[in-house]
Amino acid sequence: MAEALTRRSALGRLGAVGVVVAAGALRDPAPAVGQASSSALGLQESVQDGLKRVFGNRPMKDGASVIKLDIPPIAENGAVVPVNVEVTTPITPASYVKTIWIVADKNRIPIVAKATLTPEMGQAFVGANIRLGETTDVRAVVEQSDGTLLVARREVKVTVGGCGG
Amino acid sequence: MSDIGKIRIRVPSNAKAGDVVRVRCLVIHPMERIERDAQGKIIDRNYNYITRVTATYLGKPVVTFDLTQSVSENPAFSFALKATAPGPVKVTFVDTHGGKYEGTADIAFA
Repeated sequence: MAEALTRRSALGRLGAVGVVVAAGALRDPAPAVGQASSSALGLQESVQDGLKRVFGNRPMKDGASVIKLDIPPIAENGAVVPVNVEVTTPITPASYVKTIWIVADKNRIPIVAKATLTPEMGQAFVGANIRLGETTDVRAVVEQSDGTLLVARREVKVTVGGCGG
Repeated sequence: MSDIGKIRIRVPSNAKAGDVVRVRCLVIHPMERIERDAQGKIIDRNYNYITRVTATYLGKPVVTFDLTQSVSENPAFSFALKATAPGPVKVTFVDTHGGKYEGTADIAFA
């Protein structure tokens, strides 16, 4: 090419600089965001501390009759344990399931995941693959839109731990 | 690790209007777990794992997951939604290293 600096190459270079700057700008605040959200949810704590921190002293009712907690009773591989939670209470715009927490009692990070639901779902059903460090109780804590807390639990035997961190 | 952020979303192909359908989605991601040194002390660094998963249907939010490192590698999620009209289901994953991954699947009525 005769011309060393064409408009296209100049723009291209400018664009590359922009991308680098943007990436740098992104990289710096990203850890702060990550740490902030992990401090809100994924703390290393005992399950009692975790539940107290998230729910305070609010009473929890036994919801075994309306919460279907679907987990294999024996998990051969603790690194991947499928958990499905379904709440069978009817969904109306006034009364629906707002949040489902999945709690693994003996994990180092016991509050595993939190799902925020909307009435658009038509059915309160969520599932996720979680890690279990050892044989433990797994609980599903369900918060309804009126603030009622329901809990169901089930024991899972873990053959090989997946180290929940 | 070039596969990070690859997303697969499965929606039923024979849904009817008004049905409650179940959507499954999976993302390829290492979900790094906390490492400890010989003394059992946690090595402090920015672990790369997904903190937030958001699903929308027809542009409206359906469900949001907040996650920790207690969630499996290559995490899979499922959720229900009421199929009211044909349209896209969009799932967005955000991790602690600033990565943002998006996938869509279309709900079509048979």
